Amino acid sequence: MTRILIVDDHPSFRRLASQLVVAAGYAVVGEAADAASALDEAARLRPDVVLLDVVLPDRSGLAVAGELVSSPDPPQVVLISSRSRSDFGESYEWPEGCSFLPKHELTVTRLKELVRQP
Amino acid sequence: MRLAAAVGAGVVALWAVDVVRQNELGVGDAGLAFYAVAGVVSVGVALAIARHPGRERLALVILGWLFVSALDDLAVDWPTSRSATTVWMLAHGLQPAVYGLMVLSYPSGRLRDRGDRALVGAATALGLVWMGVPLLFFRPNGCAVCAPRVSSFLYTGTTFDYGFLGKVFAACFIVIGAAFVWLLVRRLAAAPAGARVTLLPLGFAVLFATAEFVAQRIVTLGGWQAPFGVLDWLDRGNALVLPLAILVGLAEIRRRRGPLGDLVVELRTAQPGEVRLALARTLGDPTLELALWLPDRNSFVREDGTPIDPQASGERRTVTTIGPAAEPLAAIVHDERLLGQRTLLEAAGSAAHLALENARLQAELRAQLVELNASRSRILAAADAERRRLERDLHDGAQQRLLALGLALQLLRERADDPALLEQAHAELQQALRELRDLARGIHPTILTEQGLGAAVRSLADRAPIAVSVHADEDRYASSIEAAVYFLVAEALANVVKHAQTGAAIVSLERRDGRLVVDVSDDGRGGATAAADGGLQGLVDRIAAVGGTLTITSGHGAGTTLHAEIPCGS
Repeated sequence: MTRILIVDDHPSFRRLASQLVVAAGYAVVGEAADAASALDEAARLRPDVVLLDVVLPDRSGLAVAGELVSSPDPPQVVLISSRSRSDFGESYEWPEGCSFLPKHELTVTRLKELVRQP
Repeated sequence: MRLAAAVGAGVVALWAVDVVRQNELGVGDAGLAFYAVAGVVSVGVALAIARHPGRERLALVILGWLFVSALDDLAVDWPTSRSATTVWMLAHGLQPAVYGLMVLSYPSGRLRDRGDRALVGAATALGLVWMGVPLLFFRPNGCAVCAPRVSSFLYTGTTFDYGFLGKVFAACFIVIGAAFVWLLVRRLAAAPAGARVTLLPLGFAVLFATAEFVAQRIVTLGGWQAPFGVLDWLDRGNALVLPLAILVGLAEIRRRRGPLGDLVVELRTAQPGEVRLALARTLGDPTLELALWLPDRNSFVREDGTPIDPQASGERRTVTTIGPAAEPLAAIVHDERLLGQRTLLEAAGSAAHLALENARLQAELRAQLVELNASRSRILAAADAERRRLERDLHDGAQQRLLALGLALQLLRERADDPALLEQAHAELQQALRELRDLARGIHPTILTEQGLGAAVRSLADRAPIAVSVHADEDRYASSIEAAVYFLVAEALANVVKHAQTGAAIVSLERRDGRLVVDVSDDGRGGATAAADGGLQGLVDRIAAVGGTLTITSGHGAGTTLHAEIPCGS
């Protein structure tokens, strides 16, 4: 079963998002509220997918994404944000190998489309 | 000074032309060389005079005379040129009048009274008539060495023997010369002893020139010939003697009145912003700084309105205060070595009193302008920061709640009977509404618009986590004033909660003599200041924007009081 790590600094969002991940048929292996614990948890749990908020209290989610995708046997990174695509501009370059999903588009269907089967 | 330099250059050029031309013609002699050197020296003297404040006019008159004198050789330079002849005749005719003007206008460069003006006018008229005759009737008589050897441009084509007229004019000039000497003697006699000394060198030079001039006319009248060209030499000597005499006289004036006199003269014509310069020059300290005291602001500023702290003036600098110590007019920051001249320093301060009063008014206006510009950009920056804060608050607050609510609703689509999920959705919605309400109140509270300042401040007090007692009535004010005061009180109470370490504060709003007087005070630890980047500065700007003033009293351990007064009509 695909194993997912959720990284976001709002607890209520994490709680509801993990219920949604479970409803989509995946397993939530862990949650993190900031960049440092996100990297620790990713190294410890080796998830298949990381749902990663772009804005984190200690560091930018983009920097965390860069580190995650360049690690050996990297997880799939899905960057999430309460902002929409247009807030970042059309020509915005996401870290290589990452996809972007605005939080208001986070549905079971969209999640299933985005997550690559292992 | 620039004009004087230009005229001086013209005079030197004319003299150079004289020397070159007369050498070409083979008529130059030792007298000419002396004349040219004397001319250059005199121009130098005149330019030196022009550099002194208030002396430029006199220098220009001297240069004008040197210029007319230099023109007086044109006929010799080009004896067969009709234009040179015409100019020479005019210059020759005007020379006595210009000379009189120069002497009588000493030392100010202006003629003093009607007697002076009448004499110069008469000399001008007589000179023009005198040379008008040859201008109109001179016809060369075939003399091969005379100058000029052509008629002027104004020649009428006829001539007559006007030799006798020469004697008439000579007699007239003797009369004018006598009147001139009489004017000078009268002036010398009327002058107080101190001033007389400054007139003496000029008197000597004039005596010299007048004697020479009268001798020329007497020789003309008698039809004689002076031996050895003595009169020519004397004539040429004039070009040197007079400017030198004036220089000596001016030096004596300067010596007598000293640097302070110069200061007074200079301050009379000083432009706004030049008082520091005048003082620096008088006291001989180019690094001198002038700090003007603005009692309304309780601070010192420079003439341009920028703030200055006289006490923080650096090594080997010291401060001399002008005016009473309790209510100073200004402070001079200067080299401490000037202290040896304390009398001069203090006298300079007194001499500059009126100019300093003016400078202070000017500086006050400038300071207001500087302050206005600064507060305008601070208000812009504050508005910008406020917008960024609103965006962040919306993004971190209500938006996150609504996103969570969206997720919950999605899940409810599958599990409509999950009471925990329903409860969470409801909680997120309530929280979102509360945060939006708080945010809206932060932008502009409804209670302020609906019920006025008193009620709005009381509701602020009710929500505060400390005990706040409010003394306010239900008066209404202009909405800009109500908003400014509301945010003043809100920010002040927030500061009390954050910094003051006390459990109580007092707010009072009162209409007094056409002003709204606001006090917010606590009994906490104090020590608050309106540093430029602090929140208090923002409050100062906000109150200033509605025409009011905000003062902050906050001693260490003595609590903090914000006191604002805003004009609000009756």
